[in-house]
Amino acid sequence: MTAPLDWRVSRRSLLKTAALGAVAVGGAPLLSACGGSSGIETSATAPAGSPKRGGNLRVGIVGGGAKDTVDAHLPVSHPDEARVFALYDSLLTRNPDYSIRPALAESLTPSSDPRTWTLKLRQGVTFHNGKPLTVDDVSFTFQRILDPKSPKSQATALSIIDLEALKKVDDHTLAIGLKSPSVILDDHLTNYAAGIVPAGYDPAKPVGTGPFKFQSFTPGQQSVFVRNDSYWQSGQPYADQLTIIDFPDDTARVNALLSGQVDVIDQVPLGQLAVVKANPGLRVLESETGAWIPFTMRVDAAPFSDVRVRQALRLLVDRQQMVDQVLSGHGKIGNDLYAPFDPMFARDLPQRHQDLDQAKSLLRQAGHSDLRVELVTSEVAAGTVEAAQVFARQAQDAGVTVKLKKVDSGVFYGDNYLKWDFAQDFWFTRNYLPQVAQGSLPTSPYNETHWKDPTFIDLVTRAGSTVDEAKRRQLLHDAQKIEHDSGGYIIWSFTNQVDAHSSKVNGLVPDKSGIPLTSYGFGRMWLG
Amino acid sequence: MLRLLLRRLLLGLLTLWLVSLVLFVLTQALPGDAARAILGREATPERLAALRQQLHLDQSPAAQYLHWLRGAVRGDFGRSLADQQPVSRLLGDRLVNSLVLMAAAALVSTVLGVAAGTWSALRRDRFADHATSVVTLVLAALPEFVIGIALVVLLSTTVFRVFPAVTLATPGHPVWTRLDVLVLPVLTMTLAVAPYITRMLRASMIEVLDSEYVQMARLKGMPERTVIVRHALPNALGPVAQVIALQLAWLAGGVVVIEYLFRYPGIGQALVDAVANRDVPMVQAITVVIAAIYVAVNLLADMVQILGNARLRTSLR
Repeated sequence: MTAPLDWRVSRRSLLKTAALGAVAVGGAPLLSACGGSSGIETSATAPAGSPKRGGNLRVGIVGGGAKDTVDAHLPVSHPDEARVFALYDSLLTRNPDYSIRPALAESLTPSSDPRTWTLKLRQGVTFHNGKPLTVDDVSFTFQRILDPKSPKSQATALSIIDLEALKKVDDHTLAIGLKSPSVILDDHLTNYAAGIVPAGYDPAKPVGTGPFKFQSFTPGQQSVFVRNDSYWQSGQPYADQLTIIDFPDDTARVNALLSGQVDVIDQVPLGQLAVVKANPGLRVLESETGAWIPFTMRVDAAPFSDVRVRQALRLLVDRQQMVDQVLSGHGKIGNDLYAPFDPMFARDLPQRHQDLDQAKSLLRQAGHSDLRVELVTSEVAAGTVEAAQVFARQAQDAGVTVKLKKVDSGVFYGDNYLKWDFAQDFWFTRNYLPQVAQGSLPTSPYNETHWKDPTFIDLVTRAGSTVDEAKRRQLLHDAQKIEHDSGGYIIWSFTNQVDAHSSKVNGLVPDKSGIPLTSYGFGRMWLG
Repeated sequence: MLRLLLRRLLLGLLTLWLVSLVLFVLTQALPGDAARAILGREATPERLAALRQQLHLDQSPAAQYLHWLRGAVRGDFGRSLADQQPVSRLLGDRLVNSLVLMAAAALVSTVLGVAAGTWSALRRDRFADHATSVVTLVLAALPEFVIGIALVVLLSTTVFRVFPAVTLATPGHPVWTRLDVLVLPVLTMTLAVAPYITRMLRASMIEVLDSEYVQMARLKGMPERTVIVRHALPNALGPVAQVIALQLAWLAGGVVVIEYLFRYPGIGQALVDAVANRDVPMVQAITVVIAAIYVAVNLLADMVQILGNARLRTSLR
C-alpha cells in the first residue's frame, strides 16, 4: 500500500460515508456501494429513497457582490465557490468524510521517489460544449493556474508542478513531473479552485464538466444554471435548473428561507438557529468540520518569543466554555493542533485543559507575572470577535490583561496582515501537510505565527517525500509533537458547519470539508 | 425668480463637486485598497501586484482623482474596479430600481402624512388626535431597520405569509413587473418618514385653522370641505414643504439600509458593496447621485415654498 490514493481505502471510507448519509436522511436503506466500478462515486452520494428529477433548486448563499466571478480558478467569495462546484470538476474530489476519491481522474499514482505522478483520465467525459476531455485540457489548466503574469488561487499550492515536465503519454494518460518530490499532489488537486477547463477556456463563456451548465450570471445578484444531461456521474444532477442567489445580509438570507423564496441556505447565523428549527417545514444540516479560528502568537516577537508565555496562554483557555459561548456549542474542542481528519493526526497527544496555576507559574518563571498583551481582532470569520472577548475574560482569572484592539477587516488585512504580534485567523478543513505548506513554513504564504523551527522543517520536508506510510506517520507525529509543545497557535476548537434547507430538498449529508451544503453538492440534491 | 433658481442650481453643482472631493479623500483614507479588498485572504504579493497594475492603482491619488473628474464632467463615471464594467452600465438598472422605490415611498408617505396630519388637526385634542400623536411619536423613534424586520416577521415569514421577504427579481426585468416585492420596502420607508410629515402638518394646520381668513371663509358659509382643501391646506403646506423635502431627501440616504435589509437591487445595496470593495469609481458615482437627489429635492422644496407663500412670491416679481 504505497500510494496515498488507494482506491480500496476510498471504497471502505465510502461505506462509512454511506452509513453517515443514512443517519442523516432517516435511515432508509441505501443503494449498494458495490455496484460496479463506475458505481463507486454515485453510490456514496446517492440519497435515501429514489431521487426525483426536475424542478428549480433555489439556493441562497452568504456574501457576494460586484466582484463576483464565474472564473474556474479565481473563486473568492462563497457564491463564487458555489458556482465553481456547479460548473467544474477537479481531477480528484472528497467524500463527505474528507477521504479522497477520483473525479475526472481514474487514478493518480506517484512514482517511488515521488517525483512523477501518473494521471489516468476517466474516459468518455465531455465538456458542456460537447468537446471530449483529454490530458491536453489538464495541461492547459495547469498552465492557466500557474501563469506567472496572472497567478490564480491555487498557484502557490500547485507550484510544485514542473510545467516543462508534463508528458502526454496518450489522450488519457499524463505524466506530471514535480520540481521537488511530494506525496500530496493528489491532496492539492482535490481543491475546488483547481477545476479542469477545456484548452482555450474563456471565463466570459464558462465551460466545464460539472453537473450544471452556465446560463446567466449577474454579479452580486444571481446566477442561473441548467442541468448537464451528459454528466459523467450517472443519474446526477436531479434538478433541471439551479439558481444561486447572493445574500450579503444574514437576516435577508434566513428570511428568504423562512418565507419559502429559496429552498436551501448556507451558514445559518447561530442566533437565528432557533427560528429555523421552530419551523416544521425546514431542516438543519449540521456538519462537524476541521475548520478552526485560532489565536496566533508570533513566535519571534516578545513576549511570545518565550515559549513559556505561549504555553501559559494556551493553558489559560477554558476550551469547552469557549465552544459553548462563542459557538453556542456547535463545535468540538481543539488541542492546539490542526488537521483532525488527517489519517496521521496525532490523536494520542494529551488534550490540553485550562490550568491557571500552571499558567501563572510559567509566567512567573518567564518574568511576566502581570502580563499585559494586546490582541488584534476583527470580524473576519463568524465568532472571531466573540472568541477574543471570551479569551480576554478567561485570561483575567490568571491575572493576565488582554487588551482587545478591534479593527475593521480592511485594517486587519492591511499592511500589518501576517505581522500582528497577537491576532486571529480562520482556516478551513485541511490535511496536515497541505496545511503546513499554507501556514507553518517560512515559505508559506500565510505563516501568521512566523513559525520556523528547524527540526520541524526537517521533519515535514522528509515526510513530504516519504511514500512509506509507517515512516511518514512517525515523522508527522514528531512534527505535531513539536507544535503541540511550543507552537504559536492557540487552537481552541473546530467549528461545525450549520446550513438549513426546506424539507422538500433531499440528498444533503453532513460533510467534513467545512464547505457548506455537502461541499455545494448541487448535483446530488433533489426536490421531493 | 429665474435668477434665484439659477443661483441655487450653481450652488448645487458646487456642492456636488465638494461631495466628490471629500469622498475621494475619505475613500483614500480607508485602510487597504481595491486590490486588497477584492482578493481578501487570497492576496498573495504576486496577485496583489498584478491586480494593482490592472486597476491603475499604481498611479498617484491626485492623478486618479483628476482622471475621474475629467470623465465625470463628460458624464463618464469610469469603470468599476470590482468587475471592470462601465459604472454607468452597472448603475443604470439599479438607479431606476431605487428611484422607483423612492418615488413610491415619497408619494405614499406624503399623501398619507398630509391626510393624517389634516385629519388629526381637525380632531384637535380629541382621542383620535392623541392616538395619532402617540403612534407617530413611537414610529418616529424606531430605527427603520427595526420597523423593516418587524414588518417581515408580521407579513412574510412568521405570522402571515403575504408578501415576499426579499427581492428576487430576475436581473434585467424591471422591478415594477413584480409589484409585490415593493410593498414591504415602501411600507418600511413610509412608516419611517410619514410620522414627521404628519406631526408637522398637524401643527401647521392648527395654526392655519385658527387664522382669520379661515374663520372668514367659514363665516361666509363655505362648505367645510372647500374651506379645508382650498383655503387651509395650501397655506398649511408651505411651511411644511421644507420638512417634507428633508424627509424625502432622507429617503435617498435611508434607501441604503432598506435595500440591504430587503436585498433590493438598487443603488443602496450597490453602495454597501462598493465601500466594502474600496471600489472608488462606484462609491463616487452612487454618492454623487444621492447628493444630486438631495440637492434637487431641496430645490423643489424652495420652489414650493415660494409658490405657496404669497408674500415671497410677490416680492420676487
